[in-house]
Amino acid sequence: MAQFRYLRYFTKRYPLTVTGAVIIFLVVMVSLAAPLVSPHNPYTLNLTDRLKPPGSIYLLGTDELGRDILSRIIYGARLSLLAGVGIVGIAGLFGIVIGSVSGLLGGKVDQAVMRLMDIMLAFPSLVLALALSAALGPNFRNSILAIAIVKIPVYVRLVRGQALSIKERQFVKAAQTFGAPKVWIISRHIIPNCLSPVVVQATLGIGEAILIAATLSFIGLGAQPPAAEWGAMVSMGRIYLLDQWWYASFPGIAIFITVIGFNLFGDGVRDMLDPRFHN
Amino acid sequence: MKKVLVLIISILVLTSLAGCAKSANTPQESATTQDKSLVIATAADLGTIDPAVAMDNSAWKISYPAYERLVNFKGSSTEVEPGLAKSWSISPDGLTWTFILEENHKFADGTSLDAAAVKYSFDRLMTIKKGPSDAFPSLESVTVVDPQTVVFKLKTVFPAFLSTLATNGGGIVNPAVMKEEKDGDLGQNWLANHTAGSGPYVLSEWIPEQSLKLTVNPNYSGDKPKLASINVKIIKDPSSQRMALEKGDVDIAENIPVDQLKELKSNQDLIVFNTPSLMVDYVYLNTQKPGLDNPKVRQAISYAVDYQGIISSVWQGNATQMRGPVPQGLWGYQSDLFQYTKNLEKAKSLLQEAGVKDLTLNFMYSDNKAWWEQEAQIIQNNLSEIGIKVNLQKIAYAAQREKIDAGDFDLTLGVWSPDYADPYMFMNYWFDSDNFGLAGNRAFYKNDQVDQLVRKAASVNDQAQRTDLYKQAQELIMQDAPYVFLVQKNYQLPMRKSVQGFVFNPMLQDMYNFEMMNK
Repeated sequence: MAQFRYLRYFTKRYPLTVTGAVIIFLVVMVSLAAPLVSPHNPYTLNLTDRLKPPGSIYLLGTDELGRDILSRIIYGARLSLLAGVGIVGIAGLFGIVIGSVSGLLGGKVDQAVMRLMDIMLAFPSLVLALALSAALGPNFRNSILAIAIVKIPVYVRLVRGQALSIKERQFVKAAQTFGAPKVWIISRHIIPNCLSPVVVQATLGIGEAILIAATLSFIGLGAQPPAAEWGAMVSMGRIYLLDQWWYASFPGIAIFITVIGFNLFGDGVRDMLDPRFHN
Repeated sequence: MKKVLVLIISILVLTSLAGCAKSANTPQESATTQDKSLVIATAADLGTIDPAVAMDNSAWKISYPAYERLVNFKGSSTEVEPGLAKSWSISPDGLTWTFILEENHKFADGTSLDAAAVKYSFDRLMTIKKGPSDAFPSLESVTVVDPQTVVFKLKTVFPAFLSTLATNGGGIVNPAVMKEEKDGDLGQNWLANHTAGSGPYVLSEWIPEQSLKLTVNPNYSGDKPKLASINVKIIKDPSSQRMALEKGDVDIAENIPVDQLKELKSNQDLIVFNTPSLMVDYVYLNTQKPGLDNPKVRQAISYAVDYQGIISSVWQGNATQMRGPVPQGLWGYQSDLFQYTKNLEKAKSLLQEAGVKDLTLNFMYSDNKAWWEQEAQIIQNNLSEIGIKVNLQKIAYAAQREKIDAGDFDLTLGVWSPDYADPYMFMNYWFDSDNFGLAGNRAFYKNDQVDQLVRKAASVNDQAQRTDLYKQAQELIMQDAPYVFLVQKNYQLPMRKSVQGFVFNPMLQDMYNFEMMNK
């Protein structure tokens, strides 16, 4: 009962955060249960039923090869979640390690690392991801890798800033006095103490990561056909937009809702974890 | 959060405003440019337009009307009629051709076109030795007898010779281009984006990635063309092309997908030109790659493809299945030749006979043709039904051409249309093992018997004998299945109703007879 009251209070206090959480929950559930909930096989061609408008058999219509768009969107949720979590996961992991080492060591290592990160940040992130993805060879895995690499500096800067202040704190000084090795200090003191801003950054970053992954697929550098990927679907559907509006629209709406969900939730998490926003 | 919402709303409002502003402006623009200018929308910018180098129909669209040739294709037929040459005679052995030139033809700069210019053009073509020169495999020499008489000597009899003179590569170039020569390139660099001919139009402007403009050649000897200028606009997006056509900003739109043509027909101001063409669409199987080097595997692939499905879906019925390499409408076509149809049982048993299991193939394609992605996915699906795993690989068109030339692919898609009316264009280009790569044998196919037959057929003048030789070759080829012969497509071109006088010639695919057109 107490939990329920808390939930109601929470919903009233942070309605947008809860909306975001609900959207994320739904997307995750749908992608986990994709084979159960999708009405058709997303990869089966049905050439006689091509470009059918939304109706009772195909709820959201079919594409140019007669594949069910709803089923493809459902399976596409898997790819998009994988992209979002994968990108943020890889970038966050490398960012934490590089940032904390750089912050703790300081000096020339720190200078070198941070200048490298500055160079990477100076490029527009989409352009850099585009170039990397083209260089690695266009496929879904490489596009995730490319975007993750581009996003690493964001986490490095964040963690390094935290590490600089944490290493001056009493408990770190104490550990150093007792001769604790650097690895110990990083793993036991610095990383645990700088996690919360990283978590905020990561939840906010997932939405953007999904969007960039879809963008790369849209221009043909991400998931390759016949993959049911939202960006790729919008890209193909664009050709038919004037007559078969449903083809590009529904995958586009799916991207929109998912990204909004992660952004709302990310904003909420930031508000809760950041003491400056408490009142 | 509010900030995000405000941002989204303001972006939406701005974009819709921008849309309104655009559509409000365009009618005025088109009203001021009513001086008989034909506007054509095309999807991609062009490469070189030098007649001795260009091998691309979309580039020929610009160069063909800028040059004249000794003979021309007659209307929409595959026959030729006099062009610069008013008459010609052949020696009894078929090796010496004498052409008498018409007088009064002048290049755009005012100098007159004589036999020396003809000799210069063909010497230049054969020295540069790029794709267009392949149309003249047996040309030995060109000599000037007097200013109006020129003699062509052939090494061997080449039955298609007269027809090849009407190709884009046979265009007569003004010898004055030598003034623009750099490092011995015979003016290739300059002619890549200039014209120097005697045709009805000259290229007067080329803004890369935006537009090209042709204007009337003041020194053209024929009737003055009615269209003062031709504007070729580069509009990449098919939907934008369609909107421009419907609004009247362009008169002809080249790249509207087949699916949308149906909808266009309901627009009163538009017509969709639709006629059978000699353009074919087919899959190259790299016969040198492991797995594909086995004819049984290639037959199995040919049996697995859903030809009728491709025709009814991708082509909306505006295509027919190929029967062998030579398209219907060109002599040499065999109406009783064996044709593959979808037969999964047969395909599976052929794979079993071949002892091939777990075959994985890469299927490369590009966005050069809008329909390739659909065909690739359908074929991928078809082949999965007989247990062949296909990875699709979409790359840039230029990269695709490079890889085809180098033989660096398993499966890929291509289109082909003849430049002159002779089955040589198909049989010798596609199957002679001397033509590996972009030259034409893109399956890297080698069969000594076929080599002999097609080479023999290219060296005699008797059409009945040649038909028979090509027939024998085609029967062997169908057994070897080096290509998947997909479809022969209709030529469909949506245009404003006001456009008049367009004649489609199957040799001149994607090109126009601007000098006869009006609007």
